[in-house]
Amino acid sequence: MAYFMQLLFAGIAQGCIYALIGLGFSIIFKASEVINFAQGELLLVGAYVVSAGVFEWHLPFLLALLAGLVVTILIGLLFERFILQRMIGRPVFSILMITIGLDIILRTAVIIIWGSKPIPAASPFNTISGINYAGVHFGANDLWTIAITIALCAALFYFFRYTRYGLAMRATALDQEAALAVGINIRTIYALAWGIAAAIATVGGVFLAIDSFAIDPTFGGAALVAFPAIILGGIDSISGAVVGGIVIGVIQILTAGYESHVASVLGAGIHEITPYLIMILILLIRPYGLFGTRKVERI
Amino acid sequence: MSVTVTDQKTRASSGPPRLLGSRSRWLAYGIGLLLVIVFFSFATEDWFSIVNYTLIAAIAALSLNVLSGYAGQVSLGITFFMAIGAYTAALLGGTPPTTPLDPQGFGLSFLIWLPAAGIVAALAGALIGPVALRLRGFYLAIVTLALVFIGQYIFMNIAPLTGGPQGRSFPTPGFGDLAFNQQNDYFGIALTAGQQYFLLILLVLVLSALFVANVMRSRAGRAFRAVRDHEVGASIMGVNLFEAKMGAFILSSFLAGIAGALLASYTSYVTPDYWSLTLAIQFVAAIIVGGIASVWGSILGAAFVFGLPQVIDYFSLLPTSSNSGGLTSGNLNALIYGALIIVFLLFEPEGVIGLIRRVQSLMRKTNRSNAEGGEPAEIIDLSSAPASRLDVEDAAPVNGDGE
Amino acid sequence: MSDVSAGAKNASTLTADGLPLLKVEEISVRFAGVRALTDVSFEVQPGELFAIIGPNGAGKTSLFNVLSRVYQPVSGKVTFDGHDLLRYKTYQIARLGIARTFQNLGQFPNTPVLEYLLLGRHTRMRSGILLGGLYLGPTRAEERKNRAYCMHLLELLGLERVAATPLKLLPYGLQKRADLARALALEPKLLLLDEPVAGMNLQESEDIAAAILDIKEQLGVTQILVEHDMALVMGIADRVLVLDFGRAIAQGTTAEVQANPDVIKAYLGEEFGEKTGNRANGVSDVYRREMP
Repeated sequence: MAYFMQLLFAGIAQGCIYALIGLGFSIIFKASEVINFAQGELLLVGAYVVSAGVFEWHLPFLLALLAGLVVTILIGLLFERFILQRMIGRPVFSILMITIGLDIILRTAVIIIWGSKPIPAASPFNTISGINYAGVHFGANDLWTIAITIALCAALFYFFRYTRYGLAMRATALDQEAALAVGINIRTIYALAWGIAAAIATVGGVFLAIDSFAIDPTFGGAALVAFPAIILGGIDSISGAVVGGIVIGVIQILTAGYESHVASVLGAGIHEITPYLIMILILLIRPYGLFGTRKVERI
Repeated sequence: MSVTVTDQKTRASSGPPRLLGSRSRWLAYGIGLLLVIVFFSFATEDWFSIVNYTLIAAIAALSLNVLSGYAGQVSLGITFFMAIGAYTAALLGGTPPTTPLDPQGFGLSFLIWLPAAGIVAALAGALIGPVALRLRGFYLAIVTLALVFIGQYIFMNIAPLTGGPQGRSFPTPGFGDLAFNQQNDYFGIALTAGQQYFLLILLVLVLSALFVANVMRSRAGRAFRAVRDHEVGASIMGVNLFEAKMGAFILSSFLAGIAGALLASYTSYVTPDYWSLTLAIQFVAAIIVGGIASVWGSILGAAFVFGLPQVIDYFSLLPTSSNSGGLTSGNLNALIYGALIIVFLLFEPEGVIGLIRRVQSLMRKTNRSNAEGGEPAEIIDLSSAPASRLDVEDAAPVNGDGE
Repeated sequence: MSDVSAGAKNASTLTADGLPLLKVEEISVRFAGVRALTDVSFEVQPGELFAIIGPNGAGKTSLFNVLSRVYQPVSGKVTFDGHDLLRYKTYQIARLGIARTFQNLGQFPNTPVLEYLLLGRHTRMRSGILLGGLYLGPTRAEERKNRAYCMHLLELLGLERVAATPLKLLPYGLQKRADLARALALEPKLLLLDEPVAGMNLQESEDIAAAILDIKEQLGVTQILVEHDMALVMGIADRVLVLDFGRAIAQGTTAEVQANPDVIKAYLGEEFGEKTGNRANGVSDVYRREMP
C-alpha cells in the first residue's frame, strides 16, 4: 500500500511537470493556434542555463533560475516576433515544421555549447530532504513541484479571469478579428503568450532536471509526453492541460512501478509508451479530449 | 452574341508533362549520365559510401514526399515503416540462427527480401492508415510520432526478430556466392563492393523516381494534390478522400520499407534505437529544404541533409563528433538544416527546387520577346463544344514542364 | 406559403413531359443552433436555368452545400435524376453528374488551369496509382485524350493562353471562368453555379452570362444559379426561387417573382412591400437575348 501511495505521489508530481509543459503548449495554441514543437527545447535550454548558472558561473540557485527564465523568454519572444508572425495564414504543416526547425537549432546549439555528455542538474534541495509519513517519502522536489504548479495555475486562473491582459488573451483566442476590432494589440498578446509559455517551460524543466539528477541534450524529448496530456485534456483547454498532465503522469508512474510484474509478457519499458497508447485511444474515441470544444465546420 | 474567335497560333502546353521534356532537358540528363559513368569508374570506396547512403536516403525522402509533400498528410513516422521493411528483410534474408540467442533469418535472396520489405511495410501502412488518416494536421503528426515511439518499444522487445537492444546484422544482397559487400567478377569485369551497391541502389532509386513521377503526372497524382490543397473541394470534384489518402500512405510505406531494408543492409548492423524520431525529422527537413512535392527535390534534400555532413567529414573540415561541445560536422549540418527549414518555410516553401524554378521562369521571361500576356480572347460560341466525350482529335503534345 | 406551392405547381406543368431533374422536398438544415434552411422545396426541370436568390444569410449556400452533399439536412428529401441524393456522399455526386463552381477560389492556388480542369475530369478517367505509375499505353492515351478535351474547353472559354498558369496568378475574373470550365469538364447533367459573377465588372459579367446561356442553349446542361446580381438573374433565368431566413418565400418565373410583394419586402423592407415593383425589369434588359 505504501508502495502504491509512493507511486501515486510521484505520479502526481510527474504529472504536474507534464501539466506545466502542457500549459505552455495550450496557452500558445489558444492565443495563436500554433503548436510549438520547440517547447521541449525551451525546457532544455532553460534547464541548461540554470545548471550552467549554478555550476559554471557559481550563481545562487534563484539567480540562475532567473537567468534561465530570461533566456528562454527572450528566445520565445524573438522567435514569435520575427519568424512566426510572418507565417500567419500559412498551412498547419508549415507552421509545425518551422517550430521543428527552431527545435533543431536550439538542441544543436546546446550541444555545441555544452557538449553531448550529461551535466549535473542544479537543485536547491539535497536528495533526502522531504517529509516522511506513513512509510511514504514525500520528496522536497516533488512537494515543491506540486506546490508551484498549484500556485502557477492559480496565478494563471486569476490572470485570465481578472486582469486586462488575461481577458484580452481570451478574447483573441475566441475570435482574432473581433479582438482586433476592439483595439486589442494582437502582437502584444502573442508575445505575452509565448513569454508565459517559455517561462512555464523553464520552471517545468528545472523540476524535471532535479528529478533526473543530470541532464543531457535529449532531455527535451520528455516534453513530447505533454502532447498526449493536452490531447487527453483537450487541446484548447487550459484546465484540460493540467488535468491531462496529471492523469498521464500518474498512469505513467504507476505503470512504471508495476510493469516488472508483466515484463515477461509485455516486455520492458512499456511505461514509456503508455502515454501514447492513451493518446491514440483518446483520438479514436473522443478526439477533442476531456474538456476541449467540438469544432463546428462551416464551409 | 458570340464574340471573336481566339488566336489559334498561341497555344499553351497541352500535352502531358513529359518526363524528358525539351532539348535542354535531354542535354541535362545526358550530362548527368556522363557524370554517373565517370563517378562509377573512378570514385574511391569512401566516396561510394557517401553517395550510396545519400541515394538510399533519397528513396526514403521520396517516400515521405509522396505522403506529406504531394498528398499533404503530415507524417513524422517514416522511420517506423523503414524499420518494418528492414526487419522484414532481416527475417527473410538473414543468416539462419546458429544459437538459440541469435535472431531469426531464412537466408533468402535479396530478390525476395527487398521487394518483400516494401510489401510488408505497405501492408503495415494499409492496416494503420484507416486509423491514422482519420486525423489531420497536428493530430496526424502526433499520431505518427507516437508510432515511432511505439515502434521502438516493440522493436526493443522482440529479440528474435530484432536482436533486442543489442541489435542484429542485416543481410547483404548478392547473387549466390557473389555478395555485394566484397569485390566480385562479373563476366570478367571486377566490381568493388561500393560499385555493386551503387548499381543496385541507383537502379532502385531510378525506378522509384520514375514511378512516382508518373503517378504525379497522372490522375492519382492530381487527386493527391487536390486532397492536400482542399479536401472538401476535391471531394466535390469526385475524389474519394479516403482512397486517395490510403493510396498515398501505402505507396509511401512501400518505398519507405525498401529504403529501410537497403539502409539496414548497407549499414549491416543496426540497433532498434536507430529508427528514431530524430532520424524521421531529418527526412522531413530533407524534403523541406530540397523541395516539397518534387522528385528532384527529394534527391537534393537528401544530398544536403545526409550527404553533406559526410562530405564535410571526408575532408576533415570539422571533427566528426565530440563529447565536449564545439562544432562538428554533424552539429554544423544540423544547425544549417534547422535554419534552412525556417528560411525556406518563410521565403520559399518549395525548397531549392522552388528557387530553381523561379530562376528558370525569370530566364524564360527575359528570353521572350513577344508579350505572351495580354487579354485572353473572349468567350466564343459554345456550339462547337464536344458533344460527347473525347471526340476531339488529339492535340499535338507540346512540351510541358516535366515533374 | 400557398404562393410558393402554387408557383411550384405552375412551373412543373410548364414543361411538356417527364419528371424534374432535381426535386427538393422540405429540406431543413440546422447546425450549432442556427436554422439555416426550413422546409425548402422546389423542382428543377431538365435544361432549365434556375436561379436561387435572397438576401445574405438566406441560406443559399447552405442549399448548395446540401446538393453537393457537404451538409446533411435534418429532414427532407432530394431526388436527382431518379436517385435519392441524400444517400450519396460528397465524392459520389460528381459521378452522378453534378458539378459545382466555388464561391471563393483560394482553394487550389498553385494548380495550373489545365491541371485544374483535368482534376474536374477525375471521375471521367480511370487510371489509379499502379497504372499511373507504370504509365503504359492505356494511361498515356487517357491522359492525352483528356488533355485535348480540356484544352478544347479552354479554347471555347478563351482561356487557352493561360492553360499553364497557376490559378492564383490569374485575375479574379479569369479564375472564375477557369472554375466554370473545370465544372464543365465533368460533362455534368446539373451545374451548380455559386455566385458566378461575384466581384466582376459589367463586361466580365456579360461574358459569364453569355457563357451560361450558351451552356443552356447549346449544351443543354441544367443549371442552378445562386446569385446576388439581380439584373443578371432576372435577365437570364427561367425560374427563380427566393429564400429569406432559410425559408422559400416565392417561386416562379422572373416576372412573377419580381411582382411578388413578399420578395420586395424581403429586399427593400416593409414600406415598399405594398407597391408592386417593376423597377428591376429595365436593368435586366442588358442581359436579355434578342430572340430571332
